Amino acid sequence: MATLPVVGRTRGAASYRSPAAAMWRRFRRNHLALGGGAIIGVLVAVAVCAPYLSPYDPAHQVLADKLMGPTARHWLGTDEFGRDVLSRLIFGSRVELVVGFASVLIGLVLGTLLGTLAAYRGGIADELTMRALDVLLAFPYLLLAILVVSVLGANLRSTILAVGLWATPGFARVIRGLVLTVAGQEYVEASRAIGARTMRIILRHVLPNCVSVLIVYAALYMASAILLEAALSFLGLGVQPPTSSWGLMISTGRDYLLEAPHIATFAGLAIACTVLGFNLFADGLRDALDTKLTL
Amino acid sequence: MTRFLVRRLLAAVPILFGVVFLIMGTMDVIPGDPAAMMLGQGATQDMVTRLRAQLELDRPLLVRYVEYLERLAHGNLGRSIVDDRPVSEEIAQAWAATLELGAAALLLTVVFGGLIGILSAHWHRSLFDGASRVLSLLGLSMPVFWTGIVFILIFSLWLRWLPSGGRGAWTHLVLPAVTLAIPSVATIARVTRSAMLGVLHEDYVRTAYAKGARGAAVLFHHALRNALIPVVTVLGLQFGQVLGGAILTETVFSWPGVGRLLVQAISSRDYILLEGGVLVLAATFVVTNLAVDVTYAYLDPRIAYR
Amino acid sequence: MASLAGAALGSVALPELASAAPTRGGTLTIARPVDATSLDLFKDSSAPASWVYGLIYEPLVTLGTNMTVGPGLASSWRVLSPTSIRFSLRKGVKFHDGTACDAAAIKFNFDRTFNPKAPGIWASFAGPVKALQVVDDYTVDVVATEPFSPLLLNMSMVHGGMVSPAAVRKYGDDFGRHPVGTGPFKFEEWQPRDHITLSRNDDYWGDKPSLDRIVFKVIPDDSARMIALRTGEADMVLNPLVDQLPALRHDPNFTVAGVTGTRTVFLSLTLTQPPMDDVRVRRAMFMGTDRKSIQANLVQSAGTLADSVMAPTVFGYAPMHLDTRYPYDPKAARAMLTSAGYTQGAGGMMERNGAPLALSMISSRGRYPKDAEIAQAFQAQMREIGIRVDLQLPEYPVVINALRTPTLNVHVLFSAWGNLTGDADFTVVTVFRSDQIPPAGWNTFRYINPAFDKVANAARVNLNPTERKQLYAQAQGMLARDIPFVPFYNMDNIAVMRSNVKGFVPHPVEYDLRVAPVWIQK
Repeated sequence: MATLPVVGRTRGAASYRSPAAAMWRRFRRNHLALGGGAIIGVLVAVAVCAPYLSPYDPAHQVLADKLMGPTARHWLGTDEFGRDVLSRLIFGSRVELVVGFASVLIGLVLGTLLGTLAAYRGGIADELTMRALDVLLAFPYLLLAILVVSVLGANLRSTILAVGLWATPGFARVIRGLVLTVAGQEYVEASRAIGARTMRIILRHVLPNCVSVLIVYAALYMASAILLEAALSFLGLGVQPPTSSWGLMISTGRDYLLEAPHIATFAGLAIACTVLGFNLFADGLRDALDTKLTL
Repeated sequence: MTRFLVRRLLAAVPILFGVVFLIMGTMDVIPGDPAAMMLGQGATQDMVTRLRAQLELDRPLLVRYVEYLERLAHGNLGRSIVDDRPVSEEIAQAWAATLELGAAALLLTVVFGGLIGILSAHWHRSLFDGASRVLSLLGLSMPVFWTGIVFILIFSLWLRWLPSGGRGAWTHLVLPAVTLAIPSVATIARVTRSAMLGVLHEDYVRTAYAKGARGAAVLFHHALRNALIPVVTVLGLQFGQVLGGAILTETVFSWPGVGRLLVQAISSRDYILLEGGVLVLAATFVVTNLAVDVTYAYLDPRIAYR
Repeated sequence: MASLAGAALGSVALPELASAAPTRGGTLTIARPVDATSLDLFKDSSAPASWVYGLIYEPLVTLGTNMTVGPGLASSWRVLSPTSIRFSLRKGVKFHDGTACDAAAIKFNFDRTFNPKAPGIWASFAGPVKALQVVDDYTVDVVATEPFSPLLLNMSMVHGGMVSPAAVRKYGDDFGRHPVGTGPFKFEEWQPRDHITLSRNDDYWGDKPSLDRIVFKVIPDDSARMIALRTGEADMVLNPLVDQLPALRHDPNFTVAGVTGTRTVFLSLTLTQPPMDDVRVRRAMFMGTDRKSIQANLVQSAGTLADSVMAPTVFGYAPMHLDTRYPYDPKAARAMLTSAGYTQGAGGMMERNGAPLALSMISSRGRYPKDAEIAQAFQAQMREIGIRVDLQLPEYPVVINALRTPTLNVHVLFSAWGNLTGDADFTVVTVFRSDQIPPAGWNTFRYINPAFDKVANAARVNLNPTERKQLYAQAQGMLARDIPFVPFYNMDNIAVMRSNVKGFVPHPVEYDLRVAPVWIQK
């Protein structure tokens, strides 16, 4: 999980190349990172093309065919209602991606707002915001999510909100730290000296420098968001049937562990591969940026 | 140093106040009535109303908040709605169980995480390094509750080597501790590795090598001590993660710890137990963070405090 | 009094009653999902509590596993009048704390429970009991406010056990943690959420138990509970995972003991929420539900297909012939919806005036065997006939909320009703009479039918069993026509145990756990 970064100085390149090109070169050389990117790409493709890829309707029940292991007709077997596990995994990818992207987006937006506000205003606003975020952070993260979902009722929207809420303090802290660091840089002083307005300074100079760091964090948080959604679904607090979520499949698959271990196993593998993809990608990206982020 | 400590502790108080208020407010808006649940089938509305009055569930939020703080000042966390036992007692018992699990997991984390990290750094770019990097990422990517279930399947159901749940002999501790520790081991391995790598390339280390110091000596005397700083930070935060992840592990293995207790408290709408439990967890978190900061300062005398 | 010959007891699988004599000694470890909140029957009526205190306390009379009333703390009884029964108490019975169990003690219990200002849980389903009159040291009269046929049965409920007055005085509110009764087992210790230990009452007045100790463990997780049975951490498991039963039945290391219980699991349709007020829609829903498939594939050995709102083990049961009245036929179901004014729209879904036929539904998860699964199967089957069901599977407090709220705007509720007395009155009145709409009672359907009320009330005060049966048959006929529910199954009370656990006979009333005569074969 993410912590406060210690952003060090970037090492100067031997010959001048645009920083973006240098980054891309490093990223390309990192095989693991490319693998991660590929996994993410496959996942997005699967989610988008789900109706075409899926051999069966994921909600179609054939009670008499329940709990069958992998066969020619059902490559990954069937679940307790006779629904095709492969189809449910394919459609489940939609839930994972939607939750992952949407919640990180929420966290990013809210976090940026709060973090920039705190950093730029300073003083009381800064203190209050940080204390409020501390309250949120002091909560065991899963408990917070459970409470949010319990209040709002369990469904896709409240899951996204709960996970987004969880992601906000982390992003806010990162942004605040970045803004504080970068705002002290010389070119900002220079801009101010020639009279540029505060907003302009933020948009033109401060934020773009943070983007690269943010992308790494976003990828990492996406990985964690998917795990958090799976945990909520596992506890029965995520999407409701008949929508399939990988976490929910593990939860119900657990009741049939002896007679049908394939359900929980495949669902868990799906989660592990997806999250691994995001982690590899984030790792490779971080190496490419060549900053000393202790994570 | 002491002034810093005192300031931080004082700053922690409003945070904890905020946590309590947040919980109380949340439980107010959550649908579900603990009294109706407790009375079950056959209960009349009369009985439910009477029980609610008895449990003082119908008074306004602020009144309850203030009373709670008053009781808290006397060290009284109230009585659980469902069990009618002092909350402090229930939490203390559950806490002991969670600490046992957490300590075991943390021990595994430090030993294996540290070892793998150090060795990976030492054998930089070897097969071991590559493998450990991928496996670490894998360890971070697997949902804790899934690894627990897979372990139960293999070690309890198929091999019959270890029990599947509950707390008892040391054999009961093995699977849950390992399950809980995996993400932490992975994280610490990575952090240790990168910290060690960072340090191993520093000038003073290379100087030591040039002067003829042997591998192990360099590793431990010079590199590790400086590498410890970020590792300790992350370790402290890992403690919080371990506590957070314990909820899932405790559920899968029926471990009678705080995590499972609190999830059950939410399920049965036992407000008082939940408030007490979250407060204790939050307080632990805050204290742990403080301890990390102190250790941090101790290890790196260059850090100055406001 | 009214003796009940339980009709077809369904799947009765009794463990071998070994010819060898019971061996003395040993500890029986029983695993169940939830802990009790109190062992004081004044406060806690749930099964996890009654399973334990059923061994500690004893009522005046007991209900046998064949659903006939037998002596308990009262060795004999006599019906004095339509409103009173005289019980003759057994002499020489002592509570675990040594005090005598005499008429004064019984009176204490009644006064405690039926206190109009603060009644105990039993008061809410014991019926119209007015008071207990002491005749002499060992004779008491139970008096009802009106002629009440099931009175004797109600006295046999496990919730009507007798507690020691001295202990209640001593422990006050804390009595729930220090229960004292007259039963074959005494309370030893209680680690909340972990286990309760009972030990043998060496001074028990009746057949002394063979076991030394009984430990009730809490293992909330279903799969963990079954695993505990396999690894030997538990000797007996209550509420077993239904899907594992077939394998366990074939396994010589385990015994599966089950009996048709008195609990019926069904869907409650809220008649005040359109379109549930239209009987054609309700009938269409019934015809679109493949109950047989659900029974065969999901419920399996957890129960038997229900044909009424109560189980055949209950006195007054009459089959409703639901599968003849409304056979499973999705096409006919759609036709009926069409006749109710719905037309087929996009994707085969039914709609009227542009609005889709959509129902909201709430079901519990894991509260009853296969509840969530049946709810989902139902949802899928409704989709086949063009009805969209928005299903929620929230945590139990939310479900209970829905069951008890006076303003219910959910169309379908997954529900169940366990008949605690074995008499139809307990179901017919509390669940269907028009004055029992929540929060007063459990008429979650909001079923208001004056003709039905008349029949129910007449059956209650009538003391002639044959006439009562006819009246109840009439009542069930009305319910079958109005069909405010969709019944699924009558729950079997099933326990799985290691095969060296002998002497256990499951009881149709699920709150009654008869483990006192159990012994462990070495």
